[in-house]
Amino acid sequence: MLSSFNRTVRGLVLAGAALAAAAFAGPALAQSKVAVITPYLAQPGTQFYVEAFQAVAKEKGWDVNVIDTSGDVAAVISRIEDVVNQGVDAIVINVDPAQVTAGLQSAKNANIPVVGMDAGSDPLLATNVTSDGVAMAETTATYVVDRIGAKGNVVMFVFDAFPPVQIRGAKADEIFAANADIKVLDRITPDVSDGGIADSRAKMEAVLAANPASGSISAVWAAWDQPALGALQAIEAAGRQGEGIVITGIDANPQAREEVAKGGNLEATVAQDFTGIGTAAAEAVAKLLAGETIADPVIFVPTKLVTKENAAN
Amino acid sequence: MMALALLRRYGTLIGFVLILAVFWISLPETFMTARNWLNTTQQLSMLMVVAAGMTIVMAMGDFDLSVGSAASLAGIVAGALFIAGYPPAMAVGAALAIGLAGGAINGVLVSVIGILPFIATLATLTIYSGLAFVISGGKTISGKSIPESFGNFAREGLPLGEVGGVALMLPNLTIVAVAVVFLVWVLLEQTTFGRRLYAIGGNIEAAYLSGVPVRRLKLAAFALTGLSAAGAGLMYASRVASANPTQGSGLMLNAIAAVFLGMTMSEQGEPRILATVIGVLILGVLDNGLTQLAVDSYIRQILVGAIIVLAVSAGALGKRGRR
Repeated sequence: MLSSFNRTVRGLVLAGAALAAAAFAGPALAQSKVAVITPYLAQPGTQFYVEAFQAVAKEKGWDVNVIDTSGDVAAVISRIEDVVNQGVDAIVINVDPAQVTAGLQSAKNANIPVVGMDAGSDPLLATNVTSDGVAMAETTATYVVDRIGAKGNVVMFVFDAFPPVQIRGAKADEIFAANADIKVLDRITPDVSDGGIADSRAKMEAVLAANPASGSISAVWAAWDQPALGALQAIEAAGRQGEGIVITGIDANPQAREEVAKGGNLEATVAQDFTGIGTAAAEAVAKLLAGETIADPVIFVPTKLVTKENAAN
Repeated sequence: MMALALLRRYGTLIGFVLILAVFWISLPETFMTARNWLNTTQQLSMLMVVAAGMTIVMAMGDFDLSVGSAASLAGIVAGALFIAGYPPAMAVGAALAIGLAGGAINGVLVSVIGILPFIATLATLTIYSGLAFVISGGKTISGKSIPESFGNFAREGLPLGEVGGVALMLPNLTIVAVAVVFLVWVLLEQTTFGRRLYAIGGNIEAAYLSGVPVRRLKLAAFALTGLSAAGAGLMYASRVASANPTQGSGLMLNAIAAVFLGMTMSEQGEPRILATVIGVLILGVLDNGLTQLAVDSYIRQILVGAIIVLAVSAGALGKRGRR
C-alpha cells in the first residue's frame, strides 16, 4: 500500500515539475524490479492474486509495478516491451500467453524471465502457476462416488469445446467408469450463450421428465457451477429436492457458495486458491531472481472442496 | 495578446517537448534510444491508423464513433475466414472490404438520410460490435486458426543493422502506419477532395452553394474512415495473433483524443493530419514513459486526461484572447 502511495505521489509530482520527478524516479539500486502486467485487474480473482503477490514482494523488498491495461491485450505486449526496455528483473503476466508472444519474445531476447500467473502454458514462460483442473474434477467426482455409495445413475454436465473445462469432464468420466455400479445417464453440453444456468435448467428438466421415478437419478456432476445451479433449479421446480440427488459444481462462485451453505441438493463445489496462486507466483519469481531455474512448466496450487461446513468462509 | 496567441498555437507542441524532456531526464539510459522509439512507433501504429482515418471525417466537422467496433469486426471477419480455410490475403481483403462497407453505411446514414453523425455512428457502433460477437460466438479466435504468416507480420520488419549489440528493425506495423499517414496527408492536403472536406467543415452551406457535392464527399470520407478502422483492426489482430470481438474498443476514444490534441495546434482549430500525428505521439509517449517510470496505471489514465484538458484549455483561452 505504502509503495503504491509513493508511486501515486511520484506520478503527480511528475505532472507538475520535471526536476522533482527526475529526483523521485531514481529507484534504489539493489532493489529488484518486478512488473506485474494484466488486462484483468478489475476481475475479483485477479485482485486476489495480485494482493497476495504484493504481500510476498513487500517482504522481499521488491519494487513491484502493477500495470492494468483495462482489457486491452495488445497493450499488454506494449507494456511488456516498455518494462523490458526499462530493464526490470522479472515480469509476471496474467493473460493468455499465445496472444502476447511478441512481448514474451522481447523479454526472452533481453533474458528477462516471465512467470505466468494463471496464464496458460507456453514455452516462453519460465513457468505458469495455476489451479489443477484435473484435480478439481477428481475431488468432486470422488465426492459424488462417496456420497452415493458408488452406485446409481449420474447426470454429467460438460463443455468439451473449452480445453480447461474439457479436461475436467474427461477426469470425471474416468472416475465414474471405474465404478461398475455407476451409470452415466446422460452427458449434457449446455448452451452457454446465456450464461449457462437457464439452458442447463431446461436440459435437466427434460432428464427429470424422462426419469420420473424417485431414486432413478442419484447425482448430478457439473464441470463448473452454472450447470450445477441450473440443475438445482430444475430439481427444486419439479419438487424432487427430497430424493437426495447430490449435485456438485466447480469454481465456488458466490451464488454456488450460497446454495452450498443452505444445505440443499447442491452439496459441494471446489474453490481455487487465488491467494495461493499469487503467493506461489511470487515464490517462483524469487527463485528466478536468485538465479535458479524452474524445471516444471506448470506449478499447481492445491484447491479446496467447499461443502456446507466451510461454505461461509 | 501575443503571448496568448503563441500559447494557443504552440502550447501543445511546447507541452510535448516538455514531456519528452522530463522522460529523457528521468530515464537517461532507456528513453531516448532508437530501440525505444522504434518500439513506441510500433505500439502506436494501430492508433495512428485509426486517428488518421478519424481526421478525414473530423475535417468535415463530423465524428465516427464506430471505428473501434469496426476494427474489432474486421479482426473477427479475418479470423472467421482463416478458420474457414481461406488464404490469408483473401481474408485480409474481405476484412478491409467489410470496413469500407461499414464506413459507407455510416456515410449513407449521415449524408443521404441526414442523421447526426454522433447518433448514426453510435448506432452502427453497437451493430458492428454485435456482428463481431455473432460471427465469433463471443469467443477469442486464436491459436492454430490464425495462420503463422499473419501473426508473424506484426513481429517482423526491415532490419536496420545493429547498434550496441542489439539488432534493430523498423517494424512492419510502423511502416504501415507511416504509409497510411502519408496517403491521408496527400488526400487531405494535396487534392481537391481534401480541400472540399475542409470547406464543408468550415461552412457546409457555403460549400454546398458553391457547388461542392457534399453528400458524395461525406459518403466517401466516412467509407475511408471505416477502411482505416478495419486496417487498424487487422494490425491489432496480427499483433496479438488472435481476434476478439471487443479488442478494438479502446481505439475510438484515443483516436478522437489524438485528433483533438492535434486540433489545438492548427491555425483555425481544424484537424490536420500532421498535427494528429503529434497528438498520437503524445498519447503513446506518455504510456511508454510513465510505464517505464513505474507510475501506477490508474494514475496514468488521470494524467493523460489532465494533459488533454490542459492542451485544449490553452487553445480555448488563446482563442478568447483573440476576440
